[in-house]
Amino acid sequence: MTNARTKLALATTTAILFAMPHAAHATGVTAGTLIENTASATYESGAGPQTVDSNTVTVTVDELLDVAIATQDAGAVPISGSGTVLTFEVTNTGNGPEAFDLTADPAVTGNDFDATIDAIAIDTNGNGTYDPGVDTILGAGDSTPVLDPDEALTVFVIVSPPAGITDGDTSQVNLLAEATTGTGTPGTVFTGAGESGVDAVVGSSSADADTNGSLLASLATVALVKSAVIADPFGGSEAVPGAVVTYTLVATVQGSGTVSNLRITDVIPTGTTYSAGTLTLDAAGLSDADDADAGKASAAGIDVLVGTGTAGADYTVTFDVTID
Amino acid sequence: MNKVANIFKGLFSVGSLCAAILIAAPAAHAQEAVALDGKVKVERVETVDGKEQTVFKEPTSVVPGDKLVFSTAYRNTSTQPVDNFVVTNPLPGAVMLAETDDSFEVSVDGGATFGALADLTITDAEAGQRAAKPADVTHIRWTLARIAPGEEGVLEYHAIVR
Repeated sequence: MTNARTKLALATTTAILFAMPHAAHATGVTAGTLIENTASATYESGAGPQTVDSNTVTVTVDELLDVAIATQDAGAVPISGSGTVLTFEVTNTGNGPEAFDLTADPAVTGNDFDATIDAIAIDTNGNGTYDPGVDTILGAGDSTPVLDPDEALTVFVIVSPPAGITDGDTSQVNLLAEATTGTGTPGTVFTGAGESGVDAVVGSSSADADTNGSLLASLATVALVKSAVIADPFGGSEAVPGAVVTYTLVATVQGSGTVSNLRITDVIPTGTTYSAGTLTLDAAGLSDADDADAGKASAAGIDVLVGTGTAGADYTVTFDVTID
Repeated sequence: MNKVANIFKGLFSVGSLCAAILIAAPAAHAQEAVALDGKVKVERVETVDGKEQTVFKEPTSVVPGDKLVFSTAYRNTSTQPVDNFVVTNPLPGAVMLAETDDSFEVSVDGGATFGALADLTITDAEAGQRAAKPADVTHIRWTLARIAPGEEGVLEYHAIVR
């Protein structure tokens, strides 16, 4: 903004202030604003009523560098694989337009594991949710776009878990925002570095701010238990030729979260023959054919695709064979 | 009659001429009995020898929240006393009054009416009628009944950069 325009804006502001005395900017008057003060006097002397103006004193408002950052996640974000998104909001609390450098640090004291930072992205479409391919990923050394005073920007940090974490492990990722003009102890002056050539002065935030986003490892594991029940042709349970063996496979999903592509397979033991049409999943019959339902069976073995398995749930597959 | 009328006419012409000069060059004419000199300082708290003290400096660097002191020095440069000396100072829009003072009256309506801040109210779109606050002040006014020849003084107010 040029000085001339600032003067014009100031004159307008005075008029607006009269109508709305609470219109003061939350973060203070804009950098580059001119504060001009003139007093005028009227008096009576021997020559009659007189008017006189003082000289005008002018002070230019410098740019105050300040920033705030806050996590936007309601609690710890579950992490089980890549593409886990932590959401932050960076606000320019200074009084001039400013861009900010962002640094994500996965190594926070007290972490059970340190996540891998895959990318830092800005919420380009402003919907508060990370949209891959739409929201711009900041390249190495890139800063945020310039934020106006009071403007807030939603920032996403995309992370993946390291190998070997266990369910329930916690971690934090620190995101630091620094004014690109400079940071330092409050009061540090960067001469001429502010908006329209005014000085930039570090504000009470030290022109940097950081906060932690939390991760909670949410890993599901699967336990598989196999059992067999034998029914011989004589009403007993002897493993004799002609006896029917019912195998039961129970897959239990443990931990938290879900597992995907859960598949239960088994081979038909040598010396036995699969009893056609006996395959079930959770007591519901499945056809032997390789078709729309989840299972298929043949002389070689059985194959049941459960799909998504939820922690705490059991998935039971049964099938019969006859001893040759 | 004609002669008298002519004299009046002549006086009127001279008066008009003076008025024209006054309007054209108000800062340059020598007939002003009072001179005004405006200054601004920024208030800083500095630690000297382990003690905090307030110092007033030339404002080289001002940011929102800084406290400024605006002063207007006056001096009766004439040989005649001056009466009903009223100094009006519109507050710059970018500052708000820091504290009121018995020495001046304030206006919260753009200079239409003046009074003690405690006696003034403001109509707020949200809160309705409420007591005026220092931040509402738009103008400050000092009134001095008489300034003797050669008498001088300083009028000042404290303001905070919004």
